[in-house]
Amino acid sequence: MQRLSISWTAFLLLCLTLCSLLTPAVSVKHENFKTCAQSGFCKRNRAYADTAAAQASTWTSPYALQASSIKFSQGLLTGVVTKKAGDETIRLPLTVSFYESGVARVTIDEEKRQKKDIELRHGSKARKERYNEAEKWAIVGGTTLSSGAATKNGEKKGETRVVYGPAGSFEAVIRHEPFGVEFLREGVVEVVFNGKGLMNVEHWRAKVDKPVVEKKEGETEEEQKARESAVVQEGEDEGTWWEESFGGNTDSKPRGPESIALDISFPGYSHVYGLAEHAGPLSLRETRGESNSEDKTKYSEPYRMYNSDVFEYEMDSPMTLYGSIPFLQAKKKDSTVGVFWLNAAETWVDITKTKSFVKQAVDKVLQNPVSLGVTGSMTTDTHWISESGLLDVFVMLGPTPQDVVEKYSELTGYTQLPQMFSIAYHQCRWNYVTDEDVRDVDRKFDKFTIPYDVIWLDIEYTEGKKYFTWDPMTFPDPLGMQKQLDEHERKLVAIIDPHIKNEGNYPIVEELKSKDLAVHNKDDNIYEGWCWPGSSYWIDCFNPKARDWWVGLFKYDRFKGSAKNTWLWNDMNEPSVFNGPETTMPKDNLHAGGWEHRDVHNLNGLTLINATYDALLSRDKEEASVGGVRPFVLTRSFFAGSQRMGAMWTGDNQASWPHLEASVPMILSMGISGFPFAGADVGGFFGNPSKELLTRWYQAGAFYPFFRGHAHIDTRRREPYLAGEPYTGIITQALRLRYSLLPSWYTAFHEAHTTGAPIVRPNYYVHPPDEKGFGMDDQFYVGSTGLLVKPVVKEGQEGQDIYLADKEKYFDYFDFWTYEGPGTVSVAAPLETIPVLMQGGNVFVRRERPRRSSGLMRWDPYTLVVVIGNSGDAEGTLYVDDGEGFDYQQGAYIHRKFSFKSSTGTLMSEDLAAEGSATSKKAKDYLRSMEKVRVEKIVIVNAPEAWKGKMEVEVGTEYLASKSGLTRKVGMEWHGREEGKAAWAVVRDPAVAIGKGWKIDFTA
Amino acid sequence: MRGTRSLVVLKLALLTLSSAEANRPRGVSPEFAKYYKDPTTFTCISNPSVHLPASLVNDDYCDCPDGSDEPGTSACSYLSPLSPITPPDIPNNDNINTTIALPGFYCKNKGHLPAYVPFTNVNDGVCDYDTCCDGSDEWAGVGGTKCEDKCKEIGKEWRKNDEARQKALGNAGKRRKDLVAEAGRLRKEVEDRIQSLTTQIEGSEIKVRNLEDELRDVERREKGKIVRGSGQRKTSRINILAGLARQRIDELRDTLIRVRQERNSSKDRVKELEAILSTFKEEYNPNFNDEGVKRAVRSWEEYAARDKPSDGDAAHDRDLDAITQPDKENGLDWDEWEDSEESLDVDVLYKFEEYLPVPLRTWLDQKLRDLRIWAIENGMLADRPSDSGESRAVSDARNRLESAQKELKDNTDSINTHREDLAKDYGPDDVFRALKGQCVSTDSGEYTYEICFLDKTTQKPKKGGGDTGMGNFVRLETIFVDEDLPPDGKGLGSGQRIAMRHENGQHCWNGPNRSTTVVLACAEKEEIWRIVEEEKCVYRMEVGTPAVCEIGGGRREKGRDEL
Repeated sequence: MQRLSISWTAFLLLCLTLCSLLTPAVSVKHENFKTCAQSGFCKRNRAYADTAAAQASTWTSPYALQASSIKFSQGLLTGVVTKKAGDETIRLPLTVSFYESGVARVTIDEEKRQKKDIELRHGSKARKERYNEAEKWAIVGGTTLSSGAATKNGEKKGETRVVYGPAGSFEAVIRHEPFGVEFLREGVVEVVFNGKGLMNVEHWRAKVDKPVVEKKEGETEEEQKARESAVVQEGEDEGTWWEESFGGNTDSKPRGPESIALDISFPGYSHVYGLAEHAGPLSLRETRGESNSEDKTKYSEPYRMYNSDVFEYEMDSPMTLYGSIPFLQAKKKDSTVGVFWLNAAETWVDITKTKSFVKQAVDKVLQNPVSLGVTGSMTTDTHWISESGLLDVFVMLGPTPQDVVEKYSELTGYTQLPQMFSIAYHQCRWNYVTDEDVRDVDRKFDKFTIPYDVIWLDIEYTEGKKYFTWDPMTFPDPLGMQKQLDEHERKLVAIIDPHIKNEGNYPIVEELKSKDLAVHNKDDNIYEGWCWPGSSYWIDCFNPKARDWWVGLFKYDRFKGSAKNTWLWNDMNEPSVFNGPETTMPKDNLHAGGWEHRDVHNLNGLTLINATYDALLSRDKEEASVGGVRPFVLTRSFFAGSQRMGAMWTGDNQASWPHLEASVPMILSMGISGFPFAGADVGGFFGNPSKELLTRWYQAGAFYPFFRGHAHIDTRRREPYLAGEPYTGIITQALRLRYSLLPSWYTAFHEAHTTGAPIVRPNYYVHPPDEKGFGMDDQFYVGSTGLLVKPVVKEGQEGQDIYLADKEKYFDYFDFWTYEGPGTVSVAAPLETIPVLMQGGNVFVRRERPRRSSGLMRWDPYTLVVVIGNSGDAEGTLYVDDGEGFDYQQGAYIHRKFSFKSSTGTLMSEDLAAEGSATSKKAKDYLRSMEKVRVEKIVIVNAPEAWKGKMEVEVGTEYLASKSGLTRKVGMEWHGREEGKAAWAVVRDPAVAIGKGWKIDFTA
Repeated sequence: MRGTRSLVVLKLALLTLSSAEANRPRGVSPEFAKYYKDPTTFTCISNPSVHLPASLVNDDYCDCPDGSDEPGTSACSYLSPLSPITPPDIPNNDNINTTIALPGFYCKNKGHLPAYVPFTNVNDGVCDYDTCCDGSDEWAGVGGTKCEDKCKEIGKEWRKNDEARQKALGNAGKRRKDLVAEAGRLRKEVEDRIQSLTTQIEGSEIKVRNLEDELRDVERREKGKIVRGSGQRKTSRINILAGLARQRIDELRDTLIRVRQERNSSKDRVKELEAILSTFKEEYNPNFNDEGVKRAVRSWEEYAARDKPSDGDAAHDRDLDAITQPDKENGLDWDEWEDSEESLDVDVLYKFEEYLPVPLRTWLDQKLRDLRIWAIENGMLADRPSDSGESRAVSDARNRLESAQKELKDNTDSINTHREDLAKDYGPDDVFRALKGQCVSTDSGEYTYEICFLDKTTQKPKKGGGDTGMGNFVRLETIFVDEDLPPDGKGLGSGQRIAMRHENGQHCWNGPNRSTTVVLACAEKEEIWRIVEEEKCVYRMEVGTPAVCEIGGGRREKGRDEL
C-alpha cells in the first residue's frame, strides 16, 4: 500500500510537472481571485450550512414570520420576519408579491437599517440602508400585481397559502415558524425556500470588543478557560466582520457584516442551468466536492458571481467571469422552473444534488428500500449567498423553458432588436494601427470577395489612451476612413472604456473632476486607480448627472471624428482596475447616493452601457428626418437587464481547441439567461491559432449570435484572406453561409426581442421532455428554423455524432443526406464541412446572392427552404424590417408565416403582423419600398414522390385573387432520391412579393 | 510612347463599341456577343447541351449552370467555390461545367475605358464608379438607387492622370538610363581597381618571398651566437629574484582569494536577480500591454537566451582551490630555490674549448655553432630562453616581413571583396549598384521608416527612443503582386515585381526577428509609398524607383487588361 501510494505520488508529480511544462504562463492567476474560504461572508455562510447539516434533525432556523403582522391585499402580502439572536429579536420586514404574469417575489429587508438606525464605523459617508435600487436598473416590466391572487381558505395553522398564477394553478405556502415558502404548481411542490434552514440575514450590530471572561469566585483556571472557549464557540466567526484583507488591499467594512443567504430546493429536479457567466458545462455541476477529489464532475468551490477581468480564464470552472446573471432554471421531465436572485453584490451559489424518492413512496421505501424498486429522482438544492443588499427572489413556475425565460425577460427586458449589420460579421483586432490600415483591410475583403460589415478599433486609436480623441499620427483622417467604409454600408466600432485618463489638458477628465462625476473612494474623495492610460478616474454611471454628461460626449461635435456609422464597444466595465483588489475597485468605494461599491458591483457594467446606449440614441435622434437609429454597443461586463442595450462577448479567450469547445456551452448559457446576443472571439484572443483551428472557429462562429473575429496585439495577423488556400476559401464559405442565412437569424432575433427565446437553443430547451438531452451542450438549434448545428471543436476531427431527440427526419444542409431520429447519427465533417442538419417540418429563409455587406443585400430576393418531415407538413416564419431604425415600432415591418400542408398540397404565405399595424405612414412607405422584393426560389427538401414528372405549379397572389382569382403557372423541377439523399424540388421564380400573401398549389 | 499606344487602344475600343452595341443583351461584352445572337434560343456557354428560351436571358433567375444566361444581373453570382452550394443551387445538375462562364457584368463606360464589374456588385444599391463609371451596374435602381453616367468626368480625369503617369514613366525611363550608366561607371571603377590590385599583389608577393629569405638568414646567423660568461653571477641574482617572486605570488594569491569571494557574492546576487526576473516574466500580465514592462521582459528574454559563459565553474574552482593552496603543497619550495646553485647546460662545451689553439678553436667554434643550430632545429637542444629577447636584427627582419605580408593580405582581401561585389546580383543591368547605400525615408504613423538600398531597413520612432532595425539586406527576389493602382500611379499594380529581402532585424516581442520585404515598382524617383506590417514583425515596404522601370516594375494601367 505504502509503496503504491508513493509511486502514485511520484506519478502525479510527474504529471503535474509535465503539465506545467506544457502550459507555461497560460493559466489563470488563481492567487488574484478569492476562494469562498477567502471571502469572509461566503466562508461564514458555508460554515452555517455545515453546522446545519451536522445537526440535521435538531437544526432549526431561527427565523419566524409573525402571524399577527401578516397583511394581504391586491396580490401583495406583507409581514415581519423575526430573527432570534441571543437576547435580541431582529425585525425583518417581508413582502411577497404575486404578479399578473404568474411570477412570485419574496423580498426581505432589515428594519434597523431601513430606518437608518445604525452607526457606521470610520466616519464613513456610506448609506445606511441595505441596497434597494437593483430593481431600478434591472427590472423594466412584469410587476403589475395580480388582482386574482387570493389567500386560500381552510389553511393549516402556522401557514398562509396564496393561490395565484394562470387559472389559479400556482400556490405559495408560507410557513410561519421556522419561516419558509413552498411553491406549488398543480399541487406539486416545485420550489422550496429555506427548506434546509440556511436562510441568514446578518443583522446590524455595533462592534464590541470581546468580552473578557472574568474569573469567578472559586473557579479554577481550567474552568475559566473552558467558559472562555465556550463563548467563542457559541459566537459566530467574527474574524471577517469588521475588516477583511486580500492581496494587499483592506476592506474597511463600515457597516460590518450584512450578508444574506437562502437555500432554494428543487425537489425532483435533476438539472439546473444559468448563473451565467462561467466557463463550464451548460448543466451546472455540484459544488461541494472535495478539492482534490478524483471526481471531476463536482467542483469544490461554489459558483461565484463577482464581475471580474479574469486574465486567461480556465475551462470547466465555477470561477467568476466578466458578467453575472443570477438567474437559474431547474429542469425535470416535463417541467422547468426558475428563480431570479436580484442582488448586485458579490454572490456565491452552492449546488448539491441528492437522490430522493417520490414523496408518497417514502414510507414504503424506508420499510424496504430495495425490494420496492422505486426509481429515485434527483433533487437539486442550491444555497445562495450575497455579501449585502436585500434578499429579493423571483420565482417562475414554468412549466416550459420558454415560459420561464419569457417571464424572466418580461421582468428584465427583452433583448434589443439589433441592427442588421450587427448580426453580420465583425472584423476586429487589437489593433488596426492606422486609418490607412483600416482602409487596406476594407479593400482586401472586397478583393477576396469576403463579406464583412464592421471593422473595429481597439484602444490604440486614441491619443495616449484618452477616449474621445484620435491619435493624430496614426488616425489623421477618421472621417475619410469612415466614408470609405460607408460606401459599402460598413460600420466602425470604436472602443471607449469607463476609465478616464488623469492627465492635464484633457478636457474630458477636467470636466469629470470639476463636475464631480467620478466614483469616490471610502473617504469620499475622487478614486484614483490604474488602467490602460495609467493613472485614471472612473465615471460613476450610477450618478444621473454623470450619465447626462456621458450622453453629451457622444454628440458628433464633441466626439470629433465620429460619424453616423461609428458604434461603440465598452470594455473593462467590471470595472477592471489593474491595481485594485481582484483587479477591480475596492468594495468600500462610494457611488452616487452613498452606495458602497460592494452593493452595486455587478451592476457597474450595465450602468455604463446603459449610458452609452442612451448617448447613441440621442446622438442620432436630433435629426428629425430619422426616427432614431438603434444603437449598437458591445459590453464585456453585464448583469440581468443588460440584454436591452446590446451584445456581449465571452471576453479574453485563447487560441486553443478547449476554448473553442467551451464557447458553445457558454453562449448557450447566455441564451437561456435572457441575453442571447452573445459570441466568443473567433480565432481566440490570446495566442496564434493553427489554420485548422482558425477555420473550425469561423465555422462555429458563423453560428454564434454575435460573430466577431478578434486577436491580441501580440498575435500574428489573421484576417480571413491571409490564411491561404484551402483555408481562406473554406472560411469564406462559412462567412457566406452566415450571410445567406441572415434573414433567418434576424427572424430569430426578432423572436428573442418579443418572447425572450434564445437565438441558439440547447436540446433541453427545444425538447423539454427528453431527459437524455438535458446535459447536452455541444449542439444547438438556430432559432425556430429547425437548423441543428454541432460545430467541430476538436483537432483533426473529420466526423461528428449528432444527437436527434425526436422521431423526425433530419437532412444534411449541404447534400440532403437523410437521417432519422431519435438517436445518435454520424455525420461526415471534413475540414470544409460544418455539421448542419435541417429538421423535417420547418421552413426557413435565406438570401443566396453574395454581397459585400448585409446592407447591400437589402433589396435581394429570397429563397424559401421547405423541409418536409414525417408529418408531410412544414412551417416557418420570416421577420423583415429596415434593419436599422425604430419604424418597426410603428408597423414598418413584414412578418410572415409560411406553411406547407401535405393535405392540400399548398404552400401559403400568411401575415403575422398585428391587425391594423400597417396604418402609419411609415409602415405604408416601408411596405411600398419592399413591393418589388420577391421570392425567387423555393426549395422543397424531401419533396413527395408524387411530384415526379411535374413541371409546373400554380401561383395565386393576394392581389390577383382579390381582383379576379387569377393565377399563373411557374416552372418546377423535381429531382428524385439518390443513395441516402432526399428527393428535392425547386419552384422556379414564383416572383411573389415577400410582404404579400400568396399561395402555391403543387397539386394543380 | 506608352501614351500613344493606350490612346490607340482606346479608339479601337470605342469603334467596336458603337458597332456592336445595338443588339447585345445587358452586361454582355463584345467578346461574348456571339453567344447571344439567336433571338429565340440561348445555349449556355460552357454547357452547350443546355438550351433555354432566349426570354430567360437576364430575367434575374439563374438557369445556366455556368451562369451565362444572366450576364446583366446578379442572379448567378452565388455560383462560386466560395459559396455554400446545395444541390438545387446548381441548375440542371448533371455532369456539367459549373465554372462561371463570364468574367463579369460588362460596363460600356462610353467616354472612358470599358470594364467588367463582378456580378456580386450588380444591383446592390451601390454605384461602383471606380469600375463602372456609366452607372449601368445599377440599372434596376433598387431601393431608388440612381447612378448617373459619370464617364465624361471620370474619363477626363483618368486621361489627365494617365498623361501625367505616362510623362512620369518617360522621365523614370530616362532616370533609369542614368542609373544604368552610373551603375556601369561604378562597375568599371571596381574592375579598374581589381586590375591595379592584381599588379600590386604580384609585387607584394615577390617582396614577401624576398623578405622571408632574409629573415631565415638572419635567424640562422643569430641562433649561433652564444651568450657567454653570465652563469657565475646568476646564483645570487636568482636568489633575489626568487625572494621577490615569492612575495609577489603571496600577494597575488591573497588578491585572488579576495576577488574570488567577491565573485561568489556577485554570482549569488545575479542568481537572485535572475530568479526575480524569471518570476516576473511568468507572472506579469501581457494583456495589460504596459510598454515598459514588455520592454523589460523582452530584454530579459534576450538576456536569458544568450549563451552564458560556459559553466566550467567546478573545474575552474578546483583550479582556484589548488592555486590558492600554500606553495609548498603545490610542490614549490621557495627555500630550495633561494639557496640553489645554478649550472648551465652549455658550460661543459665552453670549458673544453679553452684548451684548444686559436685557429682550431675558431674552426671548432664554427662547427659547434652549426651543430648547436642543428640540435636546436631538430629539437635536441632547448633554444635560448626567450626572455633574453630576440636580437634586433631578427626582429627587424620579421617586422619587415610582417608588414609586407599584411599589405599582401589587405590587397588580397580587397580584391576578393571587389570580385565578390562584381559577382553579386545587382539586378538587371546591374542597376542597383547605382542605388547602393542611398537612403530614403518617409513618415507613417508614429514612426519614420527608412530604407538604405542594399543595406538595411529601419523604423525610427518620432516620439523619441532608439531606432529599430527591421532587417539587413540579403538578396533580390521576384514576387507576384496584385494591387489596385491608385490614380497617381504610386503603387505596385499587378504582376511580377523585384523585391529586396531584409532579414535578421531586431528580435520581436513574442515573435521572430524583424524582416522586411521591399517591393519595388517604377517611379520617377526613389520614394517609400507604403509600409504594412503583414504579420507580427514581418513588414512590407512598397517603394518606387526608376531602377525597375520596364523590367518587371512596369505597371498595369487601369482598364487595360479588360480590353
